[in-house]
Amino acid sequence: MRGILSLAVITFKEGIRNRSLFGIALLALFLFGLNITVAGFFMRDIGKVTVDMNLSALSVAGLLLVFFVGVNLMAKDIDRKTIHLVLSKPISRIEYIWGKYLGILFFVFVSLAILLALSSATVFFLHGSYPDYFGQFTWSVFFVAAFFVFVKIALLVSIVVFFSSITTNSFITLIFSVCAFIVGSTIEEVLFYLRSSFAAKELAISDSLRHLLEIVSYLVPNLSVFDFKTEAAHGLAIGLDRLGFSLAYAAVYITVLLLLASLIFRRREFN
Amino acid sequence: MNLISFNNVCKTYDPGLFKKKIQAVNDLSFDLQQGEVFGLIGPNGAGKSTAIRMLLGLIRPDSGTIFYKGRPLREGSIQQDIGYLPENPYLYDHLNLLELLTFCGRSSGLDADAISERGTALMTRLNLLEAQKRPLRTFSKGMLQRAGICFALLHDPSIVILDEPMSGLDPIGRKMVFDLVMELKGEGKTIFFCSHILNDVERLCDRIGLMNRGGLVRLFARADFPQNDGNTVILHVAPLSAPQRHDLQALGGRLRQEEGEMLLAVAEDCYHPVNRYLEQQGVAVLGGRSEWVSLEELFMGIIKEQEA
Repeated sequence: MRGILSLAVITFKEGIRNRSLFGIALLALFLFGLNITVAGFFMRDIGKVTVDMNLSALSVAGLLLVFFVGVNLMAKDIDRKTIHLVLSKPISRIEYIWGKYLGILFFVFVSLAILLALSSATVFFLHGSYPDYFGQFTWSVFFVAAFFVFVKIALLVSIVVFFSSITTNSFITLIFSVCAFIVGSTIEEVLFYLRSSFAAKELAISDSLRHLLEIVSYLVPNLSVFDFKTEAAHGLAIGLDRLGFSLAYAAVYITVLLLLASLIFRRREFN
Repeated sequence: MNLISFNNVCKTYDPGLFKKKIQAVNDLSFDLQQGEVFGLIGPNGAGKSTAIRMLLGLIRPDSGTIFYKGRPLREGSIQQDIGYLPENPYLYDHLNLLELLTFCGRSSGLDADAISERGTALMTRLNLLEAQKRPLRTFSKGMLQRAGICFALLHDPSIVILDEPMSGLDPIGRKMVFDLVMELKGEGKTIFFCSHILNDVERLCDRIGLMNRGGLVRLFARADFPQNDGNTVILHVAPLSAPQRHDLQALGGRLRQEEGEMLLAVAEDCYHPVNRYLEQQGVAVLGGRSEWVSLEELFMGIIKEQEA
């Protein structure tokens, strides 16, 4: 346990001092500022656009943090052979995987928490400026949606750790992780289409392809279950069963990925 | 007692599809005794670093066994007792040395006081105290090497593995590390040392293993290098007749023919009789030298022999 904690601490420090962080934070601030500037153009939809833009900015910042800083925090260790030094200490390989995961997660969460505070200030300012157009808006749903952006990022971090454990190069880890994200973000829509009456009329979609996509849908992370932007934008209530399912889905997926990563990592050789 | 034993260890690397496998270590066998300084030398690609990585558990032997304290090496069984410095230590760019040492100490089970005490002592010893709060990315190559040594030694390991510890160090840094290794030796630590700087290996090591093409070619003991005794005079003398050779050997001199020259090694206690004999016989002393046979000469000779 002490190995996990000490590794998580140095991973967090290494991440939070990375200069890319400033660029990502600036981009998010730009999006929040843009939101304030252009909000007036949307008339009655100001509330919806504000919430949607803020949650999207958080999500984009989270993705950039994971892909441009998080990937390097583990894959570079292997790339540059820093792992030789780390594993020469009494830290098991399983502790290494969990320590790295917790460190990257903590770094992303702290960064996103700061951005969420700024995002909330933006929403608060626009809410105060245009109170008539935020009719259905509730802070609780907004924060629930923001929390699930965190959960989605936590799952992506586990994907990065998993791919880092099987590849030897940080660039390959990045490519695999981005692919997993793209597939995970779109799989729900693909399945929705396949099950619709429109797809049944398509000759090009064979049964085998349909079955293959069904199987793939169980393997890749379905990231749409963490998307509550529409509910937050329209101020719709979210059922506890949906929240519970999304949380449980993330917990199971993250645990399985980290266990697999640990198993692979234990067998791996570091030349 | 053998602390570590390599028993017929083999390791082959698979560089990937359609590429020929590389035999990195081939039937490697040697022992490390408790408290000795063991040097492993050999040309690039001889398998020295592979041997170290197998000992650390970073890679596994294809066949053969590594024993630690008489038991087969298992994952994590040696880490608490080991301090390791790799050839080019890549440390975390955005951390400072103090944070790196805190990580090292915490993961090794030291408390905050012990980390602070040991860390300060090591940083002072290696002249890094003033740089302790600077990010490691601003360190020079030599400073990184010394930082790596602090990282390896913080938890006071009983076995120290140093892979090219003098690499990138200036003469002052080399002296600092040399003295530190001598001090560790004095404390009874077991030191496993890999270096291309043969002069350092010769001065520091009790035993030296020469590796080539993945195997151990020769093991030298300290006694194989008489100049290490510190009180032997080595003379370059004029050609000797057979009776003269016989007489000099009887008086305690050691003779060696090297590239047409005759070398005579005389220990302090038999210097005067040998000197008298040389004067009586009119044998000219052409000069003196500091080494009886240098490790470099042995190294080159054996490698050439192997390549032939």
